[in-house]
Amino acid sequence: MSGAVREAASQLVKSLERLPQERVKHIVSLKESQLERFKPVAGLETNTQDSKQRPSLQDIKDIISRTSGPLGLQKDVLKKVNSMLPQEHYTVEAIQEQSQALNNLLNNKYKNYYAVGEKLMKPQGNPHYYQRLMDEIDGKKKETFWTAMRTVVFGK
Amino acid sequence: MLNYSTTQGLKNALRTFGNIKNSTALRSAKYSTNVNRSNESKDIESPEESTLRSHLDVKPIDYTNNAPVNPKKKRPLLSDSKYESKLYQLPKWKEALGEIVIKSFNLDMDKVRAGPVAGSYYYALCKEQGLQFENEPLSSTAKFFYEDLKLPRTFSQWFQVTILHEWILFVRMRAMPFKYGKNYQQKLVDRTFSDIELRLFDEMNVNSGRIADQYLKDFNSQLRGAVFAYDEGFFTDDATLAAAIWRNLFGGRKNVDMVHLEAMVRYVRAQLYVLSKMSDREFAMGGFKFVPPDETVHQLSPQQEAEMRNAVIEKYQAMDKKPDLLPSERSKLSFEN
Repeated sequence: MSGAVREAASQLVKSLERLPQERVKHIVSLKESQLERFKPVAGLETNTQDSKQRPSLQDIKDIISRTSGPLGLQKDVLKKVNSMLPQEHYTVEAIQEQSQALNNLLNNKYKNYYAVGEKLMKPQGNPHYYQRLMDEIDGKKKETFWTAMRTVVFGK
Repeated sequence: MLNYSTTQGLKNALRTFGNIKNSTALRSAKYSTNVNRSNESKDIESPEESTLRSHLDVKPIDYTNNAPVNPKKKRPLLSDSKYESKLYQLPKWKEALGEIVIKSFNLDMDKVRAGPVAGSYYYALCKEQGLQFENEPLSSTAKFFYEDLKLPRTFSQWFQVTILHEWILFVRMRAMPFKYGKNYQQKLVDRTFSDIELRLFDEMNVNSGRIADQYLKDFNSQLRGAVFAYDEGFFTDDATLAAAIWRNLFGGRKNVDMVHLEAMVRYVRAQLYVLSKMSDREFAMGGFKFVPPDETVHQLSPQQEAEMRNAVIEKYQAMDKKPDLLPSERSKLSFEN
């Protein structure tokens, strides 16, 4: 991998690290998965638990291409497997585009450009809807049994 | 009475058409044409343009199951009911009877309208966006999702595309008066699941009710999760919204293209922007259409916004004042917000 690609990728990794932590834990995380994907390109160590335990895509490709008939597989099956594995060829241009897109997202370009204002942010029918949601996620103000019942009965 | 044709709504004003010149005829109908062509800024392009610009080359992009819907028997877009077919004309006497019933019982038309507008018209809009069948050409929006964004052509992907669009409408419905907004949301969700149930049996060849129920429960939890995640992203920032779109629409796949993700965030925010400029009355009457991904939404200047608002107010004031306004056309929703 050339130096220019590595340079671009390390810029991208820096941007990826600026992605906000998820407030709620999900099965997959955009930040983690993309760091895992681009850190090797930037020549950095991936230090997640997961990547150490499981063989990486590179390892699998390696195993498949090393021997003529690994795992006792037929040639045509091997071909099929190889064609199904994602092949990623990074160019400087492509990686710079990725960073550019990511930076636009991080700078809230579209939230600011397409500002919807109070009308949608504090909707008339349910003005505290989003605030209550965020308070609950951030753990600021937990929903109690009574507030929950109120929502069930009255809808807001 | 039950015929809600789309009025050339506000949303047209926000679009730029490449091929329509600012003729005087179009200019006179101020709020329904491209008043804001002059607002074009260079770095804002349509979502489709920017997706096609990406140079990231990953092949195959998605190695999960690619299974276009291949129905034995295709269902109509909405239902088998003749009342929902495009060709059907309600007989005049039925129409008159309807008007009499509405007038004599003093029915709340804003409530009644939720069915035909949210349950029928808006659901059809959401459904069409990602609809795909094997051996059939894709619509231009579906092309954007399946070919440009390279999403897998499956039934559950169609569902994800549909609920993304439904959520966009939910955001606007929340801003309606509570009683009506809630009703609109309810009608949209009800229709979604009754339609999916029929599609599972007829088009996906599911024969067992138990399995169909399982799928429906699955779809239900997907809907809840997606609405929650999108709400969080909408209220906080673009990065969170992008992560929500990545988890739901893109299925959380690792080799995602950030340019595609950015284009989707722009697509969603643009739709919401158009909705935020629309009055309750116009939205509730079914005056909204999704802006196709190959068109760009540009910001409105305060002056253009005022101009459009005045045109809408004029239109509905004139309508409300009309002495022969049919009882079914009455509405108490505001047209000034």
